[in-house]
Amino acid sequence: MSTVSSTATPNRGAATWFSGFRGFLGGEADAWLFVLRVTLSFFITGWLAMRMQLPQPGTAMLTTVIVMHRQSGMVLAKGFYRVLGTLIGAAAALAVVALFPQQREPFLLVMALWIGACAAGATLHRNFKSYAFVLAGYTAAIIALPVITTHPGNVFDSAVARITEVMLGLVVSAVISDTVLPVRLRDNLRNAVRNQYANFLEFVREALMGQLPRERMEQQHLSMVRDAIALEDLRSSVIFEDPEARARSLHLLQFNQGFMAASTSFQSLHHLINRLMRQDAPVAARALLVLYRPLGEALQSSPQELPAEELAARIRQVRLELPARGKALRAEINDAAQAEDFEVGTGLLRRFSQELESYIRARGQLLHRVAPSKGVERVRFVRGNDRAGAMLAFVRTTMTMLLLGAFWAVTDWPMGANVMLLATIFSGLFATAPNAARLTGMVLSGYIAGLLAGYACEFMVLTRMDGYGLLVASVLPFFIIGPYLTTRPKLAIIGLGYTMGLVNILAITNPMTFDPQHFFNDALSQVVGLGAAAVGFALLPPAAGSRWLRRRQMAALRALVRLAAQAPLPGLRHHFESMSSDLVHQVVAHTVPGSDDSRSLLAWALAVNETGRALIHLRHDVARQPLSTALHGDVDAAVNALAVFFGQPSRQAWQDADLALRRASDAARADTETPEISRQVLYHLRLVRLAMVDDRSVMAPYIVVSDASKEGVINAD
Amino acid sequence: MPIEMAFGGALFPGLLVLFCVVCALLWALDAVAGRRGWYRYVWHPSLFRIAVFVCLFAGLGLLLF
Repeated sequence: MSTVSSTATPNRGAATWFSGFRGFLGGEADAWLFVLRVTLSFFITGWLAMRMQLPQPGTAMLTTVIVMHRQSGMVLAKGFYRVLGTLIGAAAALAVVALFPQQREPFLLVMALWIGACAAGATLHRNFKSYAFVLAGYTAAIIALPVITTHPGNVFDSAVARITEVMLGLVVSAVISDTVLPVRLRDNLRNAVRNQYANFLEFVREALMGQLPRERMEQQHLSMVRDAIALEDLRSSVIFEDPEARARSLHLLQFNQGFMAASTSFQSLHHLINRLMRQDAPVAARALLVLYRPLGEALQSSPQELPAEELAARIRQVRLELPARGKALRAEINDAAQAEDFEVGTGLLRRFSQELESYIRARGQLLHRVAPSKGVERVRFVRGNDRAGAMLAFVRTTMTMLLLGAFWAVTDWPMGANVMLLATIFSGLFATAPNAARLTGMVLSGYIAGLLAGYACEFMVLTRMDGYGLLVASVLPFFIIGPYLTTRPKLAIIGLGYTMGLVNILAITNPMTFDPQHFFNDALSQVVGLGAAAVGFALLPPAAGSRWLRRRQMAALRALVRLAAQAPLPGLRHHFESMSSDLVHQVVAHTVPGSDDSRSLLAWALAVNETGRALIHLRHDVARQPLSTALHGDVDAAVNALAVFFGQPSRQAWQDADLALRRASDAARADTETPEISRQVLYHLRLVRLAMVDDRSVMAPYIVVSDASKEGVINAD
Repeated sequence: MPIEMAFGGALFPGLLVLFCVVCALLWALDAVAGRRGWYRYVWHPSLFRIAVFVCLFAGLGLLLF
């Protein structure tokens, strides 16, 4: 959608009005093009399905509605996962029916377990991968349930028919959305990359001017997490749309990784400077700011216009001069402790400038015409998941299914299978949504509207029509309301419900049957199914957004320090960063911005990030160059004590960690066998310790002010 | 190529098998073309892809059946 220009002044009201109108028209054009694509694929699918004499053209048509999306990449991605889900679901349906063709009770039990397992799997994945799980459950139900009561032997035919119908709908949707005036996801991705790059450089430049308040840093961390996740989400869909993007997918991952690395280092550096500034005589902090300045000057002249390669070369220049300038500045510092702090900062600054350089280079590589494919390290974006949430989804869905199945068995309602089907779809679809009960309620209201429209369409209009052309003409006015509603953010869910209700109840077949009794039975069963899903959500709400899950996620976030302390090293850095980003993102998505919860979350996220990264670097250094045995033992003890503290923060654990850190630092300082590496280790330990004793951070409630540790804060032992 | 093929006792049309083979073929072609940037010489890449698919499918179908 095009944006309205904001430069117009009040006295040019007409121009504002005009540009506003044009913006409105642009948005409307987009929306109607989308409606056109959906309508085209809907009716072409219906026509083809009837030509091919498929038993239920309605299923194929419903498929096109389910995968409708504005951007073609989304349709293709959704379609791909839908194929997977359908095939797996069909296999499951065949297996379950083959196991229990004659016994209804065990069949329903196993079916409920399968559907529950699929809903649980959906909560463990993001985007369309989770959708594939929903589909696997739903397809098994749609294949097996209709035939189980009457002719279990027909299950194979039913499976073949459903797969054919779904595939037909998918192929038509994919072709139409990819060729008829397509809206490309690629452009969104390009914008996301450009904005992330520009925002980050802008922030770095702004920060160079001096101290940043802690709130601003927290905000920045949050927006960094959002950017990183958004880019990853886009990337995982764009690869279906654009072969070039697929060829570059690895570069994009690297770009994102570089972004996370650079921005974490930058934050560590800034926290360090802020802390040092609060000392009585901030000699080290001032020296660091001086050391830091050339980097700022290199970035100063509008980096957006500067080609990435040139900017990277500038930063490289600054980086190469760093050690010499650092040495000169260090010579001016007399106090030993201050000099040590300064060295810690120099190390961080060196790392940051290196990461910034490779980030900018990665950006340059993305702009190249053809991506070079050699020498690219494989990286993966790891998500942090919660098994308890998945368990909850499993229990809820299985219980709903079992209850509905029991109801069906007891009442012998011929439409019982329908109830279960609808409940399956929606309890899977919204299993990951935070306010699922409300969403299902909205879908239900849209669905009922769709049913009413379906009644009007079927019995007032369709009965007078003959031939496919007239069928299109009579369904069209009722149909287009749905896709159009979905283009309005507030009404999208209702629109989805409306369209699904309409298409489902019309169940267009050839020849069309008009049976009011069947219609009402069908409509009633669908509403009951949806209602059952809503009740299930209300009784056992999804864990997302609850205080309980938030606490668990916070614990998982802190447990990342243990991961950093103990997991095998290869690839650990990216693993750690992507997991912490994903966890933070999950929690942030369900907390009110600016609330106490969100603030404490962000504060912990920063602490975890800083400590975890320092530990990983420490372990890398130690792995490269072995320490003397005695020192190694001390360092190990300190790392473990930190993991324990983050696992379960308490004043006692803090004291232990502090003690272990100080002991290890002393040992590193006194070590003479391997002086070079023990210096490095000392700087890492020092960085972690400075973060631990920061009384303005989240550590404040745990800090135990003993004489020794107080001395440590100011005088560095 | 046989008109129908049996997999585990179920008969599948040979065309369906061919369809899957051509899909795999197109996917491989696509990957190469994307990597080399060939799609930059094409006006409408997705139309082009579909056209290639139709050519391959129809050509192989006529050749094999």
